Amino acid sequence: MRRLLLLTTMMLSLSGCAFNSVFINYPSQIAPVKAQLNSATPQQAAKIVESEVTSADGLLYAQEAGRSAQIAGDFEASKTFYQQATNAYRVFDDKAKLSLSDAGATATSLFINDNVIPYRGPGYERVMLHQYQALNYLFSGDAEGALVEVRRSNELQSSEQARYQKSNKSVQAMANGTIDAEVNKLGKAAGSTTSSFLNAYSYYTTGMLHEILGEPNDAYIDYRKAAQISPNNPYLQKDLVRLAKQLSMPQYDEFKKRWGDAILPKKEEGQVILMLERGFVPEKKSLTVPFTIHGNWQTASLATYFPTKQTVRAGRIQGLGTVLIAAPIANIDALAITALKEDLPAALIRQAARVYAKSEMAQSVESESKRRNNQTDYAAIAMQIFNVVTEQADRRSWLTLPEQAQIARTYIKAGNYSVKLDNAAPSSIEVKSGRTTLIWVIDTGNYTRFYSIII
Amino acid sequence: MKHLKVIFILAAVIGLSACQSKVEYGDATEVETVNENFGSTDLQAIAAKMVDSMLTFPPVVAMTANDRPIMFVDKVKNKTSEHIDTESVTDSISNKLLRSGKFRFIDMTKVDSVRKQLDYQNNSGMVDPSTAISFGRQIGAQYMLYGNLSSIVKEDGSTKDVYYKMTMRLMDLETGLIEWSDEKEIRKVKSKSFLGM
Repeated sequence: MRRLLLLTTMMLSLSGCAFNSVFINYPSQIAPVKAQLNSATPQQAAKIVESEVTSADGLLYAQEAGRSAQIAGDFEASKTFYQQATNAYRVFDDKAKLSLSDAGATATSLFINDNVIPYRGPGYERVMLHQYQALNYLFSGDAEGALVEVRRSNELQSSEQARYQKSNKSVQAMANGTIDAEVNKLGKAAGSTTSSFLNAYSYYTTGMLHEILGEPNDAYIDYRKAAQISPNNPYLQKDLVRLAKQLSMPQYDEFKKRWGDAILPKKEEGQVILMLERGFVPEKKSLTVPFTIHGNWQTASLATYFPTKQTVRAGRIQGLGTVLIAAPIANIDALAITALKEDLPAALIRQAARVYAKSEMAQSVESESKRRNNQTDYAAIAMQIFNVVTEQADRRSWLTLPEQAQIARTYIKAGNYSVKLDNAAPSSIEVKSGRTTLIWVIDTGNYTRFYSIII
Repeated sequence: MKHLKVIFILAAVIGLSACQSKVEYGDATEVETVNENFGSTDLQAIAAKMVDSMLTFPPVVAMTANDRPIMFVDKVKNKTSEHIDTESVTDSISNKLLRSGKFRFIDMTKVDSVRKQLDYQNNSGMVDPSTAISFGRQIGAQYMLYGNLSSIVKEDGSTKDVYYKMTMRLMDLETGLIEWSDEKEIRKVKSKSFLGM
């Protein structure tokens, strides 16, 4: 037994595991960050997680800190945090195929829980990281830097696309009792359309940045992909018709027939593009199943998403001529659910191995003589408590992401306007003829923040 | 037990000494392969190739035979998926061209500072007017040097292939003709190690 404990401690120190989310579940750590973001002092939010950026889960905390700074409007600080997250992804990319620290972390996870494995975000989070970094560059006035980030997310998008077919099959091929029901439930919550695998918002953002920074041909490619994922968005349809006409693409006639002719700006008009992000992506919940092996209590905990009933309202934008109704482009929660679904097979294998390891540990401390004499076996009880307490579901995910992204676009005469979303306080923007005003609206529930830039 | 202690102390000593970081000077022109990103070796290779190609191109040789043409360097557009300081690339190239003694340069990045200085000399009342350099005496450039740096990145599980292409052109500002053009290609392949930390 001593040896086993020694081994465990050794492995713990070898993998340099993150104790942060090992015993305290991740959503409750991020709750104060979200509370700050939804208050009058969003600048405080990034400070809460700032110190964790260097931890083993640094990648995740850097993403949270970057996003928090971004919501607060501190694009320079956000850029630094996102850069740290990018570097952390790089370290994962550069790791050897058989990595000792990975093996150490996986081994430790057999005695504790999956939270000791350093966080490595799902594909959609990584694409969104670069998408948001591109907006950071744009809003701090570096268009060329923004395009670099756009190209990075394009590269990642194409590898996600390639993975999409493969994972679709692997998810379907899985079958495993109660867990199967859980996977099915997740499948229903996320839907099985392309939009639950690929992020139309990322494609739209990269396309939009390509377009406003003078690369309409690249924009057309991204818009088409976004339209394949989210075919019913009217603004996206108009964008496609317009670009097809401007670039004299062969699809122009077909698009024109389906969605009407292109609307082009008049001479004295400027373009207004609005991106609206609403709410926060849902948290992972834990599903715990208690059972006994050889009379010893054990639990198995898996992360899952409970279905949410409320739908996100479409934003009503007043102050730009007729009332603009924003149209949803992507549901981030569906992407998160699919990412979890893809992760479940591996999590299940680790879970099974963990149940075995923990039951062996419990059995090894049991004293036969004590059991025979009906004495209390404190060691066995302590082991069972250890096993139950350490069994925590892996509930880590990027939680400061929005729940839904919506878009709107219009042409309006040059001048100053006071724009208002729903019942939030109005914000003034400027429109110049022949130029584009990009408005980024982040609605965290109680507060709505407007950022705009003229390109 | 005693053995265990000795082993523990030994391990601690080894562990501590391995953690000590050190700083060394290296050769600036040494081949650098820390990772597959755009690095100093790529920059040097591009600058060397471009300058060599331009200075040995027969029409350029003829152009510089009796004259030191004046040029200015426009930005090299970064079309890669990395944040690269392209100004540093153009600086290296213009340095080498200038050092060859065949060209003269106008630095467009300093126009604002020059304007401020001339404004101070002429309009502040602080400078003796007879020594003040008057506006409108600078010489116009005859040629413009510009370029594009693009990349193609491909990746699968264990291999990453990065291809860079730098294209540079020299344009005669009077006629709009391209007098010289060349490109430099760089390919880097990175394969993951099988076993590691």
